[in-house]
Amino acid sequence: MPRGAYSAVGIAAALSLALTACSSSSSPSGSAATGDGGGDAGKTIVVGVTSDPDTLFPWKATQFQAVNVLQNLYGTLTEFDKDLNVVPGLAESWQTSDDGKKLTLKLRQGVTFADGSTFGSEDVKWSLDKIMDEKTAAVARASLSSVKSVKAPDANTVVLELNGPDAALPANLATVNMAMLSSDDTEDKLNATPNGTGPFTLKNRVPSQSITLARNDAYWGDKAKAAAVEFRVIPDESSIVSAMQSGNVQLSVFDDPLVAQTAEAGGTITVAKTPQLSYHVLQLNATHGDLKDVNVRLAIQCAIDRKQVLDTAALGEGEVTGPITAPAFKSDPNNRPCPTRDLAKAADYLAKAGKASGVTVKTIVSQGEYATSVNEAQNLKAQLAEAKINLDLEVLESGAYVDRWVAADFDAAVALNGGRPDPDGSYGRYFTSDGNLNKVAGYSSPELDKLFAEGKATTDQAARKGIYDQVSTLLEQNAPWIWLFSGYTYTATTAGVQGFVPMASGSLQFLRTTSVS
Amino acid sequence: MRRSPALLGGAVILALLAVVAVASFAGLLPYDPIAQHPPSRFAAPSGAHLFGTDQFGRDVFSRVASGVGNSALIALVAVAFATAAGTLGGLVSGFYRGVADGAIGGVTNVLFAFPPLLLALSLASVLDRNWFTIAVAIAIVYVPIFVRVTRGPVLSLREIEYVRAAVSTGMSRWQIMFRHVLPNITSIIVIQIALSLSWAVLTEASLSFLGLGTPPPAPSLGSMIYEARSLVFVAPWTLIAPGAVVVLLVVGLNLLGDGLRDTLDPRNRGRR
Amino acid sequence: MRLRNRILTTVGTLFGVAVLVFVMLRAIPGDQITAGLGTEAAALTPAQRQALEQYYGLDQSLFTQFFSWLGNMLTGNFGYSARQQQSVLDLTLHSLPVTIELAVLSIVLALLIGVPLGMLAASRTNSARDALGQVVSLAGLSVPAFLLATTLLSVFAASFGFNPNGQGFATLADDPLLNLRQMLLPALVLGFGIAAPILRTTRTAVLEVRSEDFVRTARAKGVPERRLQVRHVLGNALVPIVTMTGLQFGYLLGGAVVVEQIFSVPGIGRQVLLGIQQKEYAVVQSTVLVIALAFVLVNLLTDALYRVIDPRVRAS
Repeated sequence: MPRGAYSAVGIAAALSLALTACSSSSSPSGSAATGDGGGDAGKTIVVGVTSDPDTLFPWKATQFQAVNVLQNLYGTLTEFDKDLNVVPGLAESWQTSDDGKKLTLKLRQGVTFADGSTFGSEDVKWSLDKIMDEKTAAVARASLSSVKSVKAPDANTVVLELNGPDAALPANLATVNMAMLSSDDTEDKLNATPNGTGPFTLKNRVPSQSITLARNDAYWGDKAKAAAVEFRVIPDESSIVSAMQSGNVQLSVFDDPLVAQTAEAGGTITVAKTPQLSYHVLQLNATHGDLKDVNVRLAIQCAIDRKQVLDTAALGEGEVTGPITAPAFKSDPNNRPCPTRDLAKAADYLAKAGKASGVTVKTIVSQGEYATSVNEAQNLKAQLAEAKINLDLEVLESGAYVDRWVAADFDAAVALNGGRPDPDGSYGRYFTSDGNLNKVAGYSSPELDKLFAEGKATTDQAARKGIYDQVSTLLEQNAPWIWLFSGYTYTATTAGVQGFVPMASGSLQFLRTTSVS
Repeated sequence: MRRSPALLGGAVILALLAVVAVASFAGLLPYDPIAQHPPSRFAAPSGAHLFGTDQFGRDVFSRVASGVGNSALIALVAVAFATAAGTLGGLVSGFYRGVADGAIGGVTNVLFAFPPLLLALSLASVLDRNWFTIAVAIAIVYVPIFVRVTRGPVLSLREIEYVRAAVSTGMSRWQIMFRHVLPNITSIIVIQIALSLSWAVLTEASLSFLGLGTPPPAPSLGSMIYEARSLVFVAPWTLIAPGAVVVLLVVGLNLLGDGLRDTLDPRNRGRR
Repeated sequence: MRLRNRILTTVGTLFGVAVLVFVMLRAIPGDQITAGLGTEAAALTPAQRQALEQYYGLDQSLFTQFFSWLGNMLTGNFGYSARQQQSVLDLTLHSLPVTIELAVLSIVLALLIGVPLGMLAASRTNSARDALGQVVSLAGLSVPAFLLATTLLSVFAASFGFNPNGQGFATLADDPLLNLRQMLLPALVLGFGIAAPILRTTRTAVLEVRSEDFVRTARAKGVPERRLQVRHVLGNALVPIVTMTGLQFGYLLGGAVVVEQIFSVPGIGRQVLLGIQQKEYAVVQSTVLVIALAFVLVNLLTDALYRVIDPRVRAS
């Protein structure tokens, strides 16, 4: 089974919403855990969530809750296993041509959609063509930018003609935003009645209260263990904890360390920590005012003790991080001009920039999108004040924040960005001059462009690691952003819940191996 | 004037809090309420930190003191606006009836019918959020209450003999309104002011619960409670201190309101 | 004539609400596209953005948007929530009864606590009874609803395992018993808060009425004390109590959001909040208009009650 040399390459969360708490995730993995095929027993697992999906159309879903539901309903060509390796999904195998300009996928046979119709190469071609069509407004469109055309020579084969080698493509296909749909379906139809090839099917939905999935007995892989999964909407996280304590809810995922601590304090709930790919960052806008000067940006880097931000804002729950959080490509957090806080050096940099008397940086902060944002901002402000750098905080309601962020209308932004298993997926879109988020990132350089292009065309794992180490070094030396820390998610389960595997992407794809007694 | 124990109690509590608030505005607190000192975070209450410290090592006592000032300021400004606008509206509306009643009633109804949350959210998003815009948002929510609460009694008073008599003597309507009608609804307005002041403090707290309160790092009692809500197991004092002070502040305001009513209302005077 | 004026005023009010909610929603930064995609919206190409604007109807002029929405409302088409896959009318038909039930239960609890305690307090001022009333009303006024709600919920759930709100919500028709248990804590929290103003209004009104001449006359005539209290005093003190109750009831229709949120009660307040978060303009506009209509109806009812219970207004 060709897995490609780049097994750890992937995009868990394609398009995970930078703001919403966590990264989203990919779709089911065929063989990561042993299952007995379901059997007829199995109860309903109740999962506590703070919101129900904002859409049931997989190509447009970026909300964490939506992705979590949809990846249990839909299938993708490739998938991730629990360690974020790319494994076969609806495509049983794939082969890259020698010149790297052609990717041939062999499809799994005998797969059916929830409505009973058969899945085939026509559906794949139709789906990929639609995703690439701008009119569809699919969020994963940019991940297919290297694809020139899609052909379906026979019912079980699909050929992607590429502009050039794309090492990240197989992983890109693993996100639920690349879900394979039936060519007979439309967005409106699917919003009402999902029709996928996943391990579950939609059973029942009460808007803004609950959404219930039933085991798909025609699923091509190991059948789910639980007969059904109910996502029950309980808007307040503390109330979810109460619902778990009283035994009404069996599983929930939190991102606020304080809520997790509260849950654990009662003694009846087990909480497991999983390090996350998403990272907390102070985004600087290097195209704005004083921040155009790299010395001012480095002064900010030197004036911040990242550990202190982590300790005060998140109770020390997490790790200080460099740019790349993916385990296989991890940056050394100390590889930067100021590995530790150094106020003297900060003053030097400011003097070099001719700003010895200090600078003011207008900073946007969202309130309510994730738990620690405002606390981080407060600590950053206090620390930077000691270096004559005045963070002028604008605390915004989330809609206002997103508007400003999207328009790159800020000097600095306190943000939680979703990371991905592949550094090209994480940063290619931000720090290359033609990246679709480059305007927001506010920084690019010919060196970075060259490195990102090389990284994409290289398939050798070790060589790629070297390339992205250079990317990481360049980023820290130029300090377009100040990377702070990455946190944990907390999977809370009540007694009797078994078989759930939390993932660094925050994914709930292992609900299928979960049982409750 | 009768001495009222409620008035005395309320005055004492508020005087105490006022001293603290004034000290905070004058910069006389033991610590800077905003300055962070991470090494001493989560210190339990002690001689050095009367109410302990929070997750940034900030002195909770100093923050509570400064929060009392900020919260009281917001509440006072909000209620002053609401009282002035609302009472005038209610008087004119109830006394003049007709077109004025229709117009004021219309505006009132529109504001009333609006969920306060939407109003606050809109104002918070549209305007630059600071203590003053929050006060204005709260004031706008309370104007219709003052209109409604005064209009009913004015409607009744309008039909009472001495008002009718005053009309027949040829006094101007405004004179009658302020000389004969207003004094008779004073008790209702005073109760409403007392209620509203405490509501305003609590509304600010609720806005903070929805993430729309006073923006950090400036402390307000509401935002302190909200931030500390999830710290209750780690550092209970961060929640208890501002919580207790909110309750104290609100109790003081209510006692004062009751006391004022007992003392000032002409119809209560000497009757009981 | 009078009825016509009333109807005109009502229509005017609703139109004002419609304009205000429409303008305010557009003044809030963000639209349905950024609300749905979050910061990912920054990655959209111009053509993608255009396609989405067309999909959500955001490409039409504000004027067209307003009048087509209003026109649709008049024909009973409240709009459609893409997020919830239901018409706003259906959503409202589910959420409004829930909120009304919660409001009624809260008001009943508040009246049960407030009126008797208020009368008791007024019966002998500055006595122990009065102090009891004071303490209860002070507590009701001083404890923030969200604090009381979270505390009650976590205490009951952690210590007694009592948490009906952790189960899926049941309507009164589905399972009356479960429904009432789920309504218990939220209604208590709201009712406790509202009991305070009702208690105080009752106390003040009773004191004021008692000091009026007709009560003295009645007492002098030898009307029995009980009859005097209920018929003469309470009867005449009803106007402010009814005003206050009407006010509070109206407020609960749109103002129970925080409590609905904490106890997962799928009421109309949450419907508005979700709509705002998701920038589903049609949902917010139509729902706010429905709340406004309910307000107006409650007010009409309150006014009508004045006429029934207040001899002075009745006389005019």
